[in-house]
Amino acid sequence: MAERLRSFAEAVRPTDPRFSAAVDALIERLKETGAGSTAPRVGDPMPPFLLPDEQGRLVALEDLLAEGPVAVAFHRGHWCPYCRINISALAQAEGQIGPDHRHIVAVVPDRQKFTAWLKTDAKVPFPILTDMDNGYAMSLDLAIWVGDEMRKLMISSGWNPAVSQGTENWTLPVPATFIVGTDGIVTARFVDPDYRVRMAIEDLLAALRSAK
Amino acid sequence: MEMHQIRYFLALSDTLNFTQAAERCNVTQPALTRAIRALETELGGELLRRERTLSHLTELGARMVPLMRQCYESALAVQSVAQSLRKGETVPLAVAVSHTVALSPITQILREMSRAFSGLQLKLRRGSGNEIGEFLKSGESELAIAGPLGDFWSRLDAFPLFDEPFDLFVSRRHRLAGKNAAQFSDLTEETLLINSQCEMVDDLAARLRAMNIRESRTHQVATQDDLLTLLGANLGIAIVPVGAVGSQNLVRVPLNDLNLVRKVSAYGVAGRRRSASCTAFLNMLRAADWGFVAPSETQWGMH
Repeated sequence: MAERLRSFAEAVRPTDPRFSAAVDALIERLKETGAGSTAPRVGDPMPPFLLPDEQGRLVALEDLLAEGPVAVAFHRGHWCPYCRINISALAQAEGQIGPDHRHIVAVVPDRQKFTAWLKTDAKVPFPILTDMDNGYAMSLDLAIWVGDEMRKLMISSGWNPAVSQGTENWTLPVPATFIVGTDGIVTARFVDPDYRVRMAIEDLLAALRSAK
Repeated sequence: MEMHQIRYFLALSDTLNFTQAAERCNVTQPALTRAIRALETELGGELLRRERTLSHLTELGARMVPLMRQCYESALAVQSVAQSLRKGETVPLAVAVSHTVALSPITQILREMSRAFSGLQLKLRRGSGNEIGEFLKSGESELAIAGPLGDFWSRLDAFPLFDEPFDLFVSRRHRLAGKNAAQFSDLTEETLLINSQCEMVDDLAARLRAMNIRESRTHQVATQDDLLTLLGANLGIAIVPVGAVGSQNLVRVPLNDLNLVRKVSAYGVAGRRRSASCTAFLNMLRAADWGFVAPSETQWGMH
C-alpha cells in the first residue's frame, strides 16, 4: 500500500504545480505546529464514541471493545484518493486479523450516502462511521482547517468535502490510526499530518493481533 | 487544532483582552499567548491584532469565530453523547415535527436511538410551522423538523436535510388518475384542497396565480391528515409534498411545469445548549441518506 500511495503522490505532482505547492505548504505548517501530536498516545485511554455507520446503525466503541481489540482509522473522505487506496488495502487485510473478534472501523466526516458508496466501491467488510462536523476527531485534537487557498484549489479540482460533510466549516481529520485494547487503552498509534502517508498495513495488523 | 487552543481563542474573541481571557480559562497569560500563536501558525495567519489597550480580531479571526465555536461544540457534544450511554438513566428527547412531514423516514432513526439509549423517552409533537416554532421558543421541544419556517425567529439554527418536491395527487376514482401527466390547464375545472397551515402555502398560492388558476375553487383544511382524508374521498385534488402521501387510495399524476420544491430542515435554538440525546439525534438526521425521500439529489463528487 505504501508503494501505491507514493506512486499516486508522484503521479499527481507534475499535473498542477500550484496544487502540490499548496499541499506542501499546508503540511509543513501542520508539521511545524505538531498537528495531531496531542491525540491519545500509547497508554492513554481512547475516548468513547457513538457514531452511525453507513446504514445508520449506531456503533459504540464500548460495544466493539466488549468483543475484542479495535483499530480505529480516521479518513478524510470518500473523495480523497489516498483514503480510498488506504481503505481498500484495509478491506483486503481484514481477513488476516485472525479468527477471534478483532474489529477495524473507519471514521470519516462524510454523510451516509457517501460512506455507503465508499463501502460498496472498495468492498469494505467493516463499518464506516460518520463523524459529523469532525466532532470526534476534534475532541481528539485531530481536526485541521483546510484554509482558503487549499479550499479554492480543491473546489477547482472537483473535490468539495463541504457537500459530502453537509457543513461549510472546511475541517478535515488528520488521517490517524489507533489500536485500542479491550481495556480501552491505546496500544499503538500512527499520526502524520501528511495525509499521503498512512500506517503500514502490516504494522496495523501486527498491533491489532498482539493487542489484548 | 487543539481543544484547549480553541477554548482560549473563543475566550479571547469574547473578551478581546489577553489577561481576562487567561483568567477565564484558568491559565497563565504566557500559556494562553503561546497557544494562540501556535493556532495562528497552523491556520496560516494572525487572528488578533495586539494593541496596548484593546486587541481586536483580524478579518481571519472574525471569520474563524463561528467555525471554531461549531468545532468546539461538536467535540463537546460527541463526548457527552458517549458518556451518557453508560449511565442508563432516563434520556428525554422532545421533538416537534410539522404535520406536512411524514414520520416514516424518521422512525428508523428513532429505533436506533432507542436501541443505543435504553432510557430514551420520546416526546413527539405535531403542529403547523408556526406551532412548532412556538414549541421551540418555549423549550417544549428541543428540536423540530419542518419545511421552511421563514424569518419566524432569528435564533433558529437550520440544518438542511433534503429537498422534497411537490406534485399533484388525486383519488384513484378521479378522472385524472389514469393520466401519465397533467397540465395546469387540467386544473381549471377542479376543486383544489389547500392546507392553510402548510409551511409552503404562500409559495403554492403564488405558483397557482402565476399559472392563472382561480383561487375560488378551493376547500381549505388546517391539517395534513384532513387534507389526505378529503383527497381520498375524492372531494378535490391537491398539490402536496410527495413524501407526505402514504395512502394506497391516492395516485400521483406528475404536473408539468410545477417546479415546486421545499427544503426540509432540522431546527434548533441557537445558543441553547442541546442535550446529548438531541445532539445524537440531530447528527443522525444530518448524516442520514434521504435519497429515498428525494431521489433527485445529485451524487456530487462520486467519481
